[in-house]
Amino acid sequence: MIKVDNLTKRFGRHSAVSGASFEAADGEVVGFLGPNGAGKTTTIRILTGFLPATSGTATVDGLDVAEHPLETRRRIGYLPESVPLYRDMRIREYLRFRGHIKGLRGDFLRRRMDEVIDRCGLGDVRRKMIKTLSKGFRQRVGLADALIHDPPLLILDEPTNGLDPNQIRSIRNLVKELGESHTILLSTHILSEVEMICDKIVIIDGGTVLASDTPSNLVSTMRSAGRISIEVKADPERAQEKMSALDQVKKVIHERNRGNWGEFSILVESGTDTRERLANLAREEGWPLRSLHRHAATLEDVFVELTRKD
Amino acid sequence: MGTLLIILRKEFRGFFQSPFGWILLSLITVMQGWSVSSAMKALQDAPIPESLVYIVFHMPQFWFYFLALFPLITMRLFAEEERAGTLETLLTAPVQTAQLVLGKYLATLCFYLVLWIPSFLQFQIFGLLTDLDPPFSTGSLGGVFLLIVLMGSLFIAIGTFASSLTSSQIIAGVITVGLLFIHYFLGYITVIYGDQFPAASLFHHISASEHLRDFSRGLISSSTIIYYLSAAAFVLFMTHHALNYRRWKS
Ligand SMILES: Nc1ncnc2c1ncn2[C@@H]1O[C@H](COP(=O)(O)OP(=O)(O)OP(=O)(O)O)[C@@H](O)[C@H]1O
Ligand SMILES: [Mg+2]
Repeated sequence: MIKVDNLTKRFGRHSAVSGASFEAADGEVVGFLGPNGAGKTTTIRILTGFLPATSGTATVDGLDVAEHPLETRRRIGYLPESVPLYRDMRIREYLRFRGHIKGLRGDFLRRRMDEVIDRCGLGDVRRKMIKTLSKGFRQRVGLADALIHDPPLLILDEPTNGLDPNQIRSIRNLVKELGESHTILLSTHILSEVEMICDKIVIIDGGTVLASDTPSNLVSTMRSAGRISIEVKADPERAQEKMSALDQVKKVIHERNRGNWGEFSILVESGTDTRERLANLAREEGWPLRSLHRHAATLEDVFVELTRKD
Repeated sequence: MGTLLIILRKEFRGFFQSPFGWILLSLITVMQGWSVSSAMKALQDAPIPESLVYIVFHMPQFWFYFLALFPLITMRLFAEEERAGTLETLLTAPVQTAQLVLGKYLATLCFYLVLWIPSFLQFQIFGLLTDLDPPFSTGSLGGVFLLIVLMGSLFIAIGTFASSLTSSQIIAGVITVGLLFIHYFLGYITVIYGDQFPAASLFHHISASEHLRDFSRGLISSSTIIYYLSAAAFVLFMTHHALNYRRWKS
């Protein structure tokens, strides 16, 4: 549905996007992650035809966005980052105008308006003036606008930005629901959101794509992947020495003592699991074992690992 | 209904959805009414060899409120969309920049024409209330309102252009005032420096005050019509490019 190939956008001498490439297949929900200033919004603006690329191509549904601006825009429902709206319009009036300029007419438009108002939870406020709405409802109006022409592709730039936890949750559920019938490119900073709803993740920083994979693949290929905690009753120094001697163990850290119990963190090579051998070791040495736990790497670890600047 | 018409209708209605449009309408009506009544008084006091129409449009205050009108009706057009970010939602919908420019321009032109309806009617009242012949010819009345439309079409294009250059309505308004005054004073160059230089005829050709003098005497010239319409088209073309260029470079 989306194919971005070697896309570059320069503002003066500064490159906001430099050689980014990624894809989103039909029906996929793709999380678009990256630190502030990574180039997410710029990439999205090129995809939606608001900005021209300096070089490279972006296609939507096989059509180049620069060569077929109107056809590709018809296929995209776009919620911009700042959710710009006409403050002096009422919700229905706004949606009618947006429907009109997207080519919807008459009964069909009325049906679509009722549908999106219902779907975005705007029923109770539909006659209100937009400037009197809270941020959460304005976000919903923006979303309703993105949906009005029933596009196959939704591009949402931080749809939960600035919302309270309840609103975040209900918008997230809505996006999840929409993901069943739409291709979605979802830019966000909330990693748990991505883990919950995305089939695929694209991480961008400094205008280049650093990773593009499913969440579970990303997590399992992370360097910081395996960290194991173990609590045994043993002489700390001997335990540390014995455990360090095991294969695939990179480092053993003695965290603390709780009474006679010593608590250790063990870093292992990625893609390996040493728990069984640790349990065997404890039995052989006659150490009482109270807990043995493997910490799964989180998306946050992946994100920090890829994008931190040190 | 085409996209252009949808934009036109929304913009046109926008003028009447705030007090602003109604205030302008009454302002023009009052100013023109004032000019008509002082012109009639002047005609009563002393014989003047010009028509009522000519005198009304040559009142000293005319150019002030006439030129002040354009920044007021055009400064909002694109500057406000840019400031509010709604240019992004407009230009990521299946709308061409040209449709947007023309839609907004024509909506403003329509509103401008509405502003002049009361003034036009003021001239008709004369015939309705008295059985005297009105103290002006149909030609001069038609001429002057034709010129009002022509100048409006160019000056609104200039205001639209200024509004596409910035996200500040104030700056757009100031640019419009500046450009309109420059245009107005170019027409005065021959008054100040005389006719003794090669380009003098060019300055006569674009002199708004000379156009007003001629048209309000019923002397309609096709080259003036062509001048205003082609200049308006050119400025709109520039507006289209300015909008694209601003996105292109930024
Ligand atoms: N119109 C512009 N003119 C000049 N520079 C710009 C413009 N828009 C964006 N930039 C720069 O391009 C870079 C990428 O910006 P962009 O808005 O795409 O980041 P982002 O990933 O969306 O960040 P955030 O998470 O904060 O929204 C930034 O360094 C930004 O300052
Ligand atoms: Mg952004």
